Order: sequence, then C-alpha cells, then structure tokens
Amino acid sequence: MRHVGLKARMAVVGSILFAFYAVAAVVVMGIFDWPLALVLLGSVLFVGVQYKLGKWMALRSVGAEDLTEERAPDLHYRVESLARDMGIDKPRLMIARMGVPNAFAVGRKGAGTVVVSEELLRTLDDDEVEGVLAHELAHIANRDVVMMVLGQGVASIVAIVAQWAVLLTGDNDIADFFLAIVVGQLTQMLVMLFVFAISRYREYVADSDAAAEIGSGEPLARALEKISRGAEGRESAVDDQAAALCIFDDRGGLANLLSTHPPVEKRIERLRSR
Amino acid sequence: MTEVRTLLAAVLGVLLGVLCLLAPGAVVRTQTLGRRPDGRGGEYGSDAVPTRWRRLVQALGGGCLLLGLYFGYTAVG
Repeated sequence: MRHVGLKARMAVVGSILFAFYAVAAVVVMGIFDWPLALVLLGSVLFVGVQYKLGKWMALRSVGAEDLTEERAPDLHYRVESLARDMGIDKPRLMIARMGVPNAFAVGRKGAGTVVVSEELLRTLDDDEVEGVLAHELAHIANRDVVMMVLGQGVASIVAIVAQWAVLLTGDNDIADFFLAIVVGQLTQMLVMLFVFAISRYREYVADSDAAAEIGSGEPLARALEKISRGAEGRESAVDDQAAALCIFDDRGGLANLLSTHPPVEKRIERLRSR
Repeated sequence: MTEVRTLLAAVLGVLLGVLCLLAPGAVVRTQTLGRRPDGRGGEYGSDAVPTRWRRLVQALGGGCLLLGLYFGYTAVG
C-alpha cells in the first residue's frame, strides 16, 4: 500500500477538519434556517470558486506564460517521461520571471500546470531541474494542490460562520464588530494549524516520490542546497529590522508549527539518507 | 453581557495583535495557503513571506493591539 503514513495522517486531519465543518454547518442551519442540502451546495460552490480563482490568480500573479515545446524540447521530454512514470497526464508547462529560483504546481491530476522560473532554470543543472520537476509532478499526482484548497476552504467557511455567529448574537456596537473580525481570524488560524501540519508532511512525501522516480534523492537535495545557500546571501542584505521582531516566524519549534514547509535542512537530510 | 463581550474583544484583540506582530509570516500563510503559489517572494522549497507583507500585517497587528487595549480599558475602567 502506497503512502500509508500520509493516508493515516489524512484520516486524522480530515476527521478534525470535518468536525470543524460539521459544527459550522449546524450553526448555519440553526441561525439561518438553511436546509442541509443548501449548506452543502453553498460549501461546494465556495470551495469550487476558490479552486478555479486560485489557479487563475496563481498563474496571473507571476505572469506565467506557456513554455512551448520548440523553446524547451528537453524539458518537455523530461516532464512527459516523469508524468508517464507517475501515471498522470502530462501537465501544462509554463515559465515566469519571478526574481528568484522557484517552481510550483497548480491544478489537479489530468489538468495540472507546472510553472518554473527563468531564474531556477539558470541556477540549477539539468538533473537538479529534473528533481524539482519530479517533486512538483508528485504534488499533482498526490492531489496536494486540491487538498490544500479544500483545507483552506474549510478553514474559511468555519471562520466566516464564527464571525457571523458573533455578529448576530451581539448588540452591533463597535466592540462586537471588532470581536467578530478577531474571532474570524483566530478561528481560521486554529483550523489552518491542522492544514499546515498535513502540508509539511506532504512535502516530505513529494520529496520521497521524486527521489523514487528519478532513482536518487541527491539531485533534489543539491537543488535545495544550492537555492537556500543563494538565499542566505540575499537575505542578509535585505532588512533584518522587520525580521528581528518576527520571533515566531523564523526560529524555534513554534515556527515549524506555523510553517507550510518543513525546514530545508531536514528535507535535504532525508533525501540524502534514502 | 456587553461587558463580558467587550472584555473578550479586548483579550482576543490583544492576542491577535501580538500574533500579528510576532508571527506575521504565519498570519499571511494562513490566508494564502491553497490560494497562492508556495514561496511567492521567497525561494523554491521555502514558505517565506515578502517583507512588505510582513510589515503590513505587523502594522495591522499594532492597530489590533491598541484597539484591544482600548476595549480592555473601557471594560475594566
């Protein structure tokens, strides 16, 4: 059985998210007198719009354009071969100028898109690029993008319901409006903690799948190492003033809890110890 | 009842304000995961958040903290 650890974690996190959603649904049914069918339809529509809009905005935000086969035949050949081996349709390949070496996947199995930055292609060697591509294809194959949209959707629905519940039970004074906004934000953060946890684990799984696909974890480990080493030099030149206050953002166990990605050093270590 | 809600607004407002000040990246990630690509403004393999976004969240957090303290003052004082 593939990805037993992931499936077990998904079962736990999925149950927790479902519990949050169920409470929100019951509250909506109670306050607005909506039938269950309408609550479910509204939820599906909400998440569906988020998915469609998210994909469109992700591509638009980086100014991604199609990377044609004539422009990069080698890259297309590698993506096609990896996709075939992973049992998914070849995703659309796009390129963008992001200012930093980066790559990401959007969409689902059968309608996926992988975007790579020009800087990434310039920075990495061919086998390292292949490692990165394999990692992104693994995200599509494992439906990671869809799962994250679903998680975000549940968190948003629960937050909106919490916000309205506070508003509708209050006196509509300024403190109530403030309380509603704060409760909405804190509720979303609480639910997202569980989504963050599964997101971090999915990164490890995508790393492991990529390494299995290309036969070694070394190229992806080298790619991560090269990129993070380059980032260190740049970051020290950027302002440390803002970062100095962000004590829960950059270091310590709490920082890991609030991250969507595991520490790069740990990923490199795991890739090399395969 | 109103006093209790005002006090709750104060306590939770201060909590959210402190969170925004100390972990602005996490607050941004809460809103962007699943909506925007990973590592936007950062490098591949990281979930770094651009400095200007962090600063914006910290500014909002400062406002939230002040409002929380104000509501605390009106509820207790």
